[in-house]
Amino acid sequence: MKHLLIASVGILTAALAFSSAARSQDTPTRGPGQVDQRPPSVYEKLANSGPGGPAPVHDLTGFWNGPLEPKFADKPSLTLLGQSKFKMNIPDPFSAHSNDPWRTCDPFGFPRSATNETRGLAFATMPQGLVIMTQYSKIWRMVWMDGRPLPKNFGTKGGPSSRWYGYSIGHWDGDNTLVVETTGVDDSTWIDRRGYPHSVDMHVEERYTRVDRNDLELTVTIDDPKMYTKPFVDVTNKFRFTPQQQEDEQLCVPSQAIDYLNTIAIPAGQDELAGQK
Amino acid sequence: MRPRIALYLLMVVAILSASSTVFAHHGNAAYETSKAVELKGATVTKFVWGNPHTFLMFDVKDDKGNVVHWAGEAGSPSSLGLLGWTKDSVQPGDVVTVYIYQSKTGRPVGRLNRIVLADGTALKDSALGYREQ
Repeated sequence: MKHLLIASVGILTAALAFSSAARSQDTPTRGPGQVDQRPPSVYEKLANSGPGGPAPVHDLTGFWNGPLEPKFADKPSLTLLGQSKFKMNIPDPFSAHSNDPWRTCDPFGFPRSATNETRGLAFATMPQGLVIMTQYSKIWRMVWMDGRPLPKNFGTKGGPSSRWYGYSIGHWDGDNTLVVETTGVDDSTWIDRRGYPHSVDMHVEERYTRVDRNDLELTVTIDDPKMYTKPFVDVTNKFRFTPQQQEDEQLCVPSQAIDYLNTIAIPAGQDELAGQK
Repeated sequence: MRPRIALYLLMVVAILSASSTVFAHHGNAAYETSKAVELKGATVTKFVWGNPHTFLMFDVKDDKGNVVHWAGEAGSPSSLGLLGWTKDSVQPGDVVTVYIYQSKTGRPVGRLNRIVLADGTALKDSALGYREQ
């Protein structure tokens, strides 16, 4: 009886959690007569473009298309401090009630710029490194490839200042994998749209592997002992080389976001109906 | 036994809370999506081609002849661009027919299903708002 009860509760939990997720994700459950009118995205159209030949050595140069959002990997295990920070974060850029930095178009910071709105990504070489550019909000990050170490002692007197996108260094692992390490990120930012926190001492590793000419795979790993009990993979993602090298313009404009909240979200009662005042 | 049941139920609530928090983005729960309201003779007053969502503001006369100021949201520019919309698809002064899922609050605000321009061109919302009527 006891086991039956436990099993029932477990099944109910899974079913309700799944239905809740399915109901309100980007592609909602469609009712009778409802059709998906969204045509294939640029990324989806590139699905059949093939490998395009072998990957060039130590070269990611160019513009890549990605999906709207990456694939979330592990659910992180939070420390007590991490739990208290996470509880304070209320994600939702469409709600007047949330404290999501996205709601007012504050900078995503890093690694959220690599884990949220990932439709476009580009790489360009620089004299002593490379830049990684993100289509959403037209972000660019300098990655030093000249062997310098990452700065230390953030948050201390005499130490370097933390920044929205931190400090990044990189190196090649083999012929086709770029490894980027980042630290010193302003701790008011979130690591992803789910609202997970981080400290200024967070260490992030991005691994970009160019599988062939047209395919690029990314893994983002977080190590932040103040907030998480162990390192974890936050997201994985896949990008495809864009033949025409044509980017889209995606800017989060503060005045438009505020206008949206006042004109749509609040009058529509999005928070009222969710039980939030 | 009873404390354990309470614990399991607490776990249910915790998991459900987490799942709704994670996936609350882009929801249409505020809107009555069973049927779109048809609003003919809508005069566009403003069109915001922006993020997170575009929105259209327009005036419509009600049954008593009073002008009602409406607002309707649609997908992002990236999504609508794939459906033929541009920043200049509609401009202030244009008279269009609007099909909209109104807010459950009854206020004149909602999620667009589609708009039909004066020349008969239909501009549909992205997957979130459009459905055949």
